[in-house]
Amino acid sequence: MLWVLFAVLAVSAVAILLHPLLKADAASTDRQEGAVAVLADQLQEVDRDAERGLLSNDEAEAARIEIKRRLLKLGRRRPARGRAEAGGRGALWASALVVPLVAGLLYAQLGSPGIPGVPFADRQEERGEQAQIAELTERLRERLQGDPEGGPTEGWMLLGQTYMRMGRFAAAASAMETVIERDDAASAMLSQYAEALVAAADGVVTPKARNAIRRAREMDPSNPAASYYEAIALDQAGDSEEAHDLLVSRLEQAAGPAPWMEIFVAQANRIGEAIGRAPVNLAAFAPLAGGAPGPTPDDVAAASEMSAADRAAFIRSMVDRLADRLAESPDDLEGWLRLANAYGVLGETAKAREAYEAADALATDLPSNDPRRQSIREALSELGG
Amino acid sequence: MIPEIGQFALALALATALVQSVLPMLGAARGNALWMRSARSSSIAQLVFIGIAFAALMQAFVVSDFTVANVVENSNSLKPMLFKIAGTWGSHEGSLLLWVLILAAFGAGVALFGSNIPDALKARTLSVQAWISTGFLSFLLLTSNPFERVFPPPLDGNDLNPLLQDVGLAMHPPLLYFGYVGFSIVFSFAVAALIEGRVDAAWARWVRPWTLAAWMSLTAGIALGSWWAYYELGWGGWWFWDPVENVSFMPWLLGTALLHSAIVTEKRDAFKSWTILLAILTFSLSLLGTFIVRSGLLTSVHAFAVDPERGLYILGLLGVTIGGSLTLYAWRAPSMEGGGLFAPVSREAGLLINNLLLATATGTVLFGTLYPLFMEALTGDKVSVGPPYFNATFIPIMLPLVVAMAIGPFLSWKRADLKGVLQRLWFVAVLAGLAGLATWYLARGGPVLAYLSVAIAVWLLIATLREWAVRIRLFDVPTAEAMRRARNLPRAAHGMTLAHTGLAVAMLGFIGSTAWKSEEIVFVQPGSVIEIAGFDVRFDGVETVRGPNYIADRGTLAVSRNGDSVTTLYPERRSYPVARSSTTESAIRSTLAGDLYASLAEPASETVADQGAWTLRILYEPLVNFIWIGAAMLVLGGGLSLSDRRLRVGAPRRASRSGPVATPAE
Repeated sequence: MLWVLFAVLAVSAVAILLHPLLKADAASTDRQEGAVAVLADQLQEVDRDAERGLLSNDEAEAARIEIKRRLLKLGRRRPARGRAEAGGRGALWASALVVPLVAGLLYAQLGSPGIPGVPFADRQEERGEQAQIAELTERLRERLQGDPEGGPTEGWMLLGQTYMRMGRFAAAASAMETVIERDDAASAMLSQYAEALVAAADGVVTPKARNAIRRAREMDPSNPAASYYEAIALDQAGDSEEAHDLLVSRLEQAAGPAPWMEIFVAQANRIGEAIGRAPVNLAAFAPLAGGAPGPTPDDVAAASEMSAADRAAFIRSMVDRLADRLAESPDDLEGWLRLANAYGVLGETAKAREAYEAADALATDLPSNDPRRQSIREALSELGG
Repeated sequence: MIPEIGQFALALALATALVQSVLPMLGAARGNALWMRSARSSSIAQLVFIGIAFAALMQAFVVSDFTVANVVENSNSLKPMLFKIAGTWGSHEGSLLLWVLILAAFGAGVALFGSNIPDALKARTLSVQAWISTGFLSFLLLTSNPFERVFPPPLDGNDLNPLLQDVGLAMHPPLLYFGYVGFSIVFSFAVAALIEGRVDAAWARWVRPWTLAAWMSLTAGIALGSWWAYYELGWGGWWFWDPVENVSFMPWLLGTALLHSAIVTEKRDAFKSWTILLAILTFSLSLLGTFIVRSGLLTSVHAFAVDPERGLYILGLLGVTIGGSLTLYAWRAPSMEGGGLFAPVSREAGLLINNLLLATATGTVLFGTLYPLFMEALTGDKVSVGPPYFNATFIPIMLPLVVAMAIGPFLSWKRADLKGVLQRLWFVAVLAGLAGLATWYLARGGPVLAYLSVAIAVWLLIATLREWAVRIRLFDVPTAEAMRRARNLPRAAHGMTLAHTGLAVAMLGFIGSTAWKSEEIVFVQPGSVIEIAGFDVRFDGVETVRGPNYIADRGTLAVSRNGDSVTTLYPERRSYPVARSSTTESAIRSTLAGDLYASLAEPASETVADQGAWTLRILYEPLVNFIWIGAAMLVLGGGLSLSDRRLRVGAPRRASRSGPVATPAE
């Protein structure tokens, strides 16, 4: 449909531009004749003004003489060209046809034909879901606030994380703030709190956030999020070299691929570009990360054009594909982790647990401080409980 | 899908502009009628495609399609419909789209309604217009694409700046742009004339309606903008010599000079080179304004340096347009024949004084506007050039201009009898002096300059009316005869009288509301009474009210004079939770004599807020509405002049000598 409309526009452009060819009886006006007509009109105007008494007879006569002199001078002037050149139809055709071509090239650079228009009114369902989440969040907040013991730490963190996802950063920070001074506050909580503060300040690492980052790093020097925001803070304070060093050294310490590494590399390269450091490559730190099969750009583009039901079916088919592949080659730890995560998102806890268990079996070969082992353990305890 | 249609239409418009930049220009050079005629269809095609793009963007705003990045950033589903629509041109990208739309509208206007203009001149003019169009369309598409998409779309948008959420302002940019961009066609006419090597009375007359149309909408735009500032910003002022105001005022000043100098070119075949230069400079100032406003230079030179892509692009366009046209001018203008001679006292000389003073005034405003920018760029120091500078430099130039403006229309062309004119005007001078004295007697206070200015404004007012009366011989002949003469007077003459009178009226407004303004800024508690300019204003407290997308504190002020109730005012402070900002809605009691203006500042302090103490700002501005009445008269005067049938005289049309039908296909 879109392409049909584009074609209609392109054809009408050509049609409008070719229109001069049709105008057989086109009138033309000449510069010389135009000037004469204007002067003649001025002459008549002088007559009218004199008749009405707006000009004295002397003034009128002087004006007439002047205009007539100008008319005479015009008459002496040779027209610039004797005869107008005819033809040139080929050039007109060519230029008319060039227009859609150039426009098409431009559009190929700029357009996003795959993205549909989505009026606000068509998004009732999405808004309904969001409203439901908002309501659940509100209920959670009330329950936590009403708790005489101050509410469980995980509860407040969950509330904060939910607010983060809703884009209510200030609310997220204040929810997390309630519990970060508790004894059971972990490094990850502090770095999440710092992230909320930074997001609420439009990306600026405030002193309060910096403080939380410092505490997070004291508790766990390897916490990637804390290192990341420390680097941002350093960069914002003007210590870009130090920021770059920090990011790269943390990447070097990484044991195996992890999802956070990609953003580290991007940030390191952003800072590096400003201070003239050579770009770093993700593959250098995590040889496995680049090669993992996932949805191709085509898959994503296809998914974006589907209805909600189709999209769910599509995601389901991708998950099934992954599950089939893992059944054939079960030694892929990253694959199992992705599958487990996907089942978790789809709400199929039993299958998610199975996948995590498979991953756990493979993870025994890993060093004990590998973050993946920790995340598997966390996930299993969550699913089991 | 619709945003993509807009995107493609915009690409088509750029491609069309490219063709139009070349083909008609070549046609005019080689005398090829077909190529010249192509300017007409391509101008119309440009308008159609940019119109489609604009409509597509507007549709995205109207239905709140948050897959368009521009809508996300500048709209919100809760916003009232009118402001959703206005959001279309509220952003950088949208306003540039409006810019090119108006550019195309003027081009298509000449193509459609300029049937009296000779083919070659028209073809060249439209080609030059397409050069400008190409520059700005490519700027739009390459650096500020209004149809940038986001997927998946965010749930809701980030609102329009609530300060801009105002009916006056919703209409302001279109009008201002109409004026500002309208001068583009005058520029194109000037460049075309330079290329053609011919400027004469006929040229001046063909350009005149377009100059008038641009000037009228610029006047209306500036007036509307100042009206908006007056009742929305809550400061009670109507002009702040703010750079954004200055950049629209400079083209107006030079455009006014152009309007007058073109009359001399039309009537006496003189001032040709000067008229062309004014046409070039007026549009150059419009471009400079676009550059200053759109490059982010105003917020800070530093901000410009951080993200210079857009700014540099416009700067490049500016350099090419101004530099190129002035080079062409320097090359071609000396070959223009001089026109009719005139004596030192004559209508021409009067218009020359008008031109020189207006150009000088423009220069002072330009200096005051650019100086802080240069200072910041060179030394890093932030300096601000404010009203004291402009009042000290601009007013002394304008007052003599107004004095001369009253005399000018009495002078005849070529050689005038100044003594005779002054004899006719001596009693006007007496009346003006009396008006100054009467003001002094009534007001007793205020600067001496104010009395002088009142006298000068009255001088202009009465002299202008007197000139009209002389023309129709009112009082000399029976009234019926005078009325018949009035009907026979060309509309342009009525237009001049109306516009000059309008300026006198507006001047009275400027002076009254500046020199005799009363202002009170007070802490008030419920029951407090403030006396101002003979009014008693009682503060009855503040309540909270809800609007469609804001929450407001609304104050209630009971106004009485000598114990009689006059009115009740409800100033508000609105806060917009989505945009996290707030605005002041002033309450104004408007009369011809003056405005009583109240605005609510913040609660006196956090702690006493509960007790209802607020800071209140109350002003009385005498005659302030004269400003907008005067401005309306200026615009109407321009309109009357535009409707003068003489502006449509052109060459007789005749069938083409070599119609395509007569020649078989190639």
